[in-house]
Amino acid sequence: MSTAVVLLLVFAGLSEAAGRIVPLVSRRPGMSRTFVAGLLVAAGLVEGAVLALWPLTAWTLAELLLSSPPPDSGLAWTPNLLVPLLLSAVLAFPLLGPLLHMVLFVGVGAGLAGSLATASGLGWWTAAGCVAVAGTGLGIAVEGVRRLVVRVSATRTPEVIV
Amino acid sequence: MNDIVLWICALGPVLIAEGLLARYEVLAYSAGWRDPVTELPDGVPYARGAAPDSPPAAYLVYLDGIGKRRFRDTRDGGQLVKAVLAGAPELRVLGQVQPYSPLADPLADRPVWAWLRRHVGLLLFLHNVMQVFVAADHRYRPLYNRAVGSQIATQLRLAGYEPDSGVPVVLLSYSGGAQVATGAIDELHTQLRAPLVVITLGGFHNGANDLTHATHVYQLTSAGDRIERVGTWIFPQRWSLFRRSGWNRALRAGRITVHRLDPATHLGPRSYISPDTRLPDGRTYLDRTTDTVIGIVRAHHGTPTTTDRPLP
Repeated sequence: MSTAVVLLLVFAGLSEAAGRIVPLVSRRPGMSRTFVAGLLVAAGLVEGAVLALWPLTAWTLAELLLSSPPPDSGLAWTPNLLVPLLLSAVLAFPLLGPLLHMVLFVGVGAGLAGSLATASGLGWWTAAGCVAVAGTGLGIAVEGVRRLVVRVSATRTPEVIV
Repeated sequence: MNDIVLWICALGPVLIAEGLLARYEVLAYSAGWRDPVTELPDGVPYARGAAPDSPPAAYLVYLDGIGKRRFRDTRDGGQLVKAVLAGAPELRVLGQVQPYSPLADPLADRPVWAWLRRHVGLLLFLHNVMQVFVAADHRYRPLYNRAVGSQIATQLRLAGYEPDSGVPVVLLSYSGGAQVATGAIDELHTQLRAPLVVITLGGFHNGANDLTHATHVYQLTSAGDRIERVGTWIFPQRWSLFRRSGWNRALRAGRITVHRLDPATHLGPRSYISPDTRLPDGRTYLDRTTDTVIGIVRAHHGTPTTTDRPLP
């Protein structure tokens, strides 16, 4: 993975985290700037890691469909594929945010599907299915983690310092 | 064609940036990073009309359309406020509420926005439009409603309103102000326990807010008002299909009364508040709208209507 891709993954993760944390902060009064910044960085790294796993998971699924899969993973992020995800903070956009966010991810997924089809020899629609299943699975997993974090942080009471 | 592409390229990033920055205020309010503004500048009264030393017949809060950017009245909205004050001196009227600022901070008083107003005035309207959409978004709506509801309650108290006094509070809202007016109802009910009457004039709102605590809602509308009609198309909660939305529940309960002000338009020389265009009976559109508003308010506070003209 090149340095450019790593940096783009970090920024895309931060962008995604910003898009998700802004509405959360709006619903949870009293968060300090420091806490919000810390939450943003931590969540950004997690989101970036999940994005990094997307092509890898899609390739693993494609291997299950191939009778003789290639020895190496043939699917990885390139800067061109990844750049649009810097806009994933659009999720926080009023009213249209969730729709624009979905369109963005469908577009990036289509790019990944093309690369996967080329690298594996699968048809485009099959490759798109692998990318979609991988993306949805990772999305559900990370959503579970998000909800858990929100629930834990909501019930956490401040420690009494004696 | 090239001009269109250029406009899209220029306006697109501006729209995205504005859309992403629009929630900063509600965020700052929520996190407590800034306190809402409560003091008015010198020369701006907390209310006009009936004297503050005895309870007025009703308090009327005017929530202006997207042109609102300072504590003082806008040119168009100001005409309606002045006409209501002249026609109903028994009311105390508040026009200083900032419907598009959860922190009650007028755009015109902010250095960056003051510069933008001189160079790209359109951006101020765009910002206020975006605030309407923030107020309508289910993720931000509860807090936005609480912020603006608190702002209105604070201004009412400063204008002399006594909670539990039973004096009616009328929220007269124009265009996007309707989103804010319908959203402020719960907070005002909680803080003031006042009889609340909502009047929407060409109201642009998403219909999601709960209207249970409003005594009644009056929809002043016209077949020639395209902007209000757009609101009924783009917000699913306004469709009859969404039976459980706040607006549709109020409709079924018979708590919304429609007054038709045909053939008025939302904006322009034939708008609801046009002082120039006349009806066949000789009244201007502004006169008719004012008569309608005053008639509604008086029906709620019991003062006999001085005009013998029937409500439209």
